[in-house]
Amino acid sequence: MSGLEGLRDSAVINLTGAVTMVVDDSPFGLDITASALLGFGIKTRYACHSAAEAIDILKDHPIDLLVVDTEMPEMDGYELVRWLRRSGLDPNAFAPVIMTATHVRRSRVTEARDCGANFVITKPFSAASLLERIVFVARDTRPFLEVGDYFGPDRRFREGKAPGAERRADVLRKMKHAADKAAAATGAEQAG
Amino acid sequence: MTVITHARRKSRLSKIIDEAGGVSIGAALTQAKANLEALKPRSAAEVADRIADLAAIQPPASPDQTMTALGQAYRAANGVIDGAGPFGMDDIRAVAIGLCDLIDAATPERPFDWRVLPVYAQSLQLLLALPDDAEGRLKVRESLEKMVDRKLGQPG
Repeated sequence: MSGLEGLRDSAVINLTGAVTMVVDDSPFGLDITASALLGFGIKTRYACHSAAEAIDILKDHPIDLLVVDTEMPEMDGYELVRWLRRSGLDPNAFAPVIMTATHVRRSRVTEARDCGANFVITKPFSAASLLERIVFVARDTRPFLEVGDYFGPDRRFREGKAPGAERRADVLRKMKHAADKAAAATGAEQAG
Repeated sequence: MTVITHARRKSRLSKIIDEAGGVSIGAALTQAKANLEALKPRSAAEVADRIADLAAIQPPASPDQTMTALGQAYRAANGVIDGAGPFGMDDIRAVAIGLCDLIDAATPERPFDWRVLPVYAQSLQLLLALPDDAEGRLKVRESLEKMVDRKLGQPG
């Protein structure tokens, strides 16, 4: 198996004709993404270093896949995707969008969910995880929804607590800090 | 709340992917990994440049410059993660993530402690210079992680 869920190593894909845009203000970050895509047979048609540059192209040229970094100066990736979904551009407003994130700010977690992207993947991504997402968005049959301010692929969220152990770094830190303080207090009591 | 459902049209990508020709998943992944490996020699220079950006950032002279300076520091730290991430520089990436966490946690009530920025820049320079198996690497990373835990673990 390839490590890609549900796909064998021998399964064949053809992405050579996919008109792809990569947006990243970091030239090196853009090269990393474009190099991985090239391995899959995707030659990046539009390599943009800013959201403004991307918008100029998206207005006039249809694309099949957008890979965009979340964090960029001035207009960031979330704003670009939100603009795209609301642009009314056909077919670009419905194009599959994969966002790449070096570090997701806590204040932007909601925006990552609500901007209308199909996926957000964190860097460093492996070639396998990027390809897996591309194959998923290519086969994605979810309808697009307009709900209030949201326009994008149908999102289904579980109500209540997430399954499994706590994974949020800030919550874990607070728990660790509280445990350390409690242990220090106990140690001081015993010493006294 | 009104929900408008747009029936999903088959995207061009969904048609292209099943067209004749193409490559196997295994071959695609092998080629992608080789392409990424070819970028490895550039990664150390990229990380060094972004650390230099970080070291050059001055604390804001007035409160209205704070967001700009924080944005610069955040982007420089992001650049370090970008450069280090895929190429095995795990401790450099972890330290830069810690800095991003600290910047991200800054609020008007709990402002960013600008004294830590040069500490991070120097620590990252040290990590970049030290041999991979140097004992000091772990100490640098652990001491910075403890500082992040202490600063972010405090309620508020």
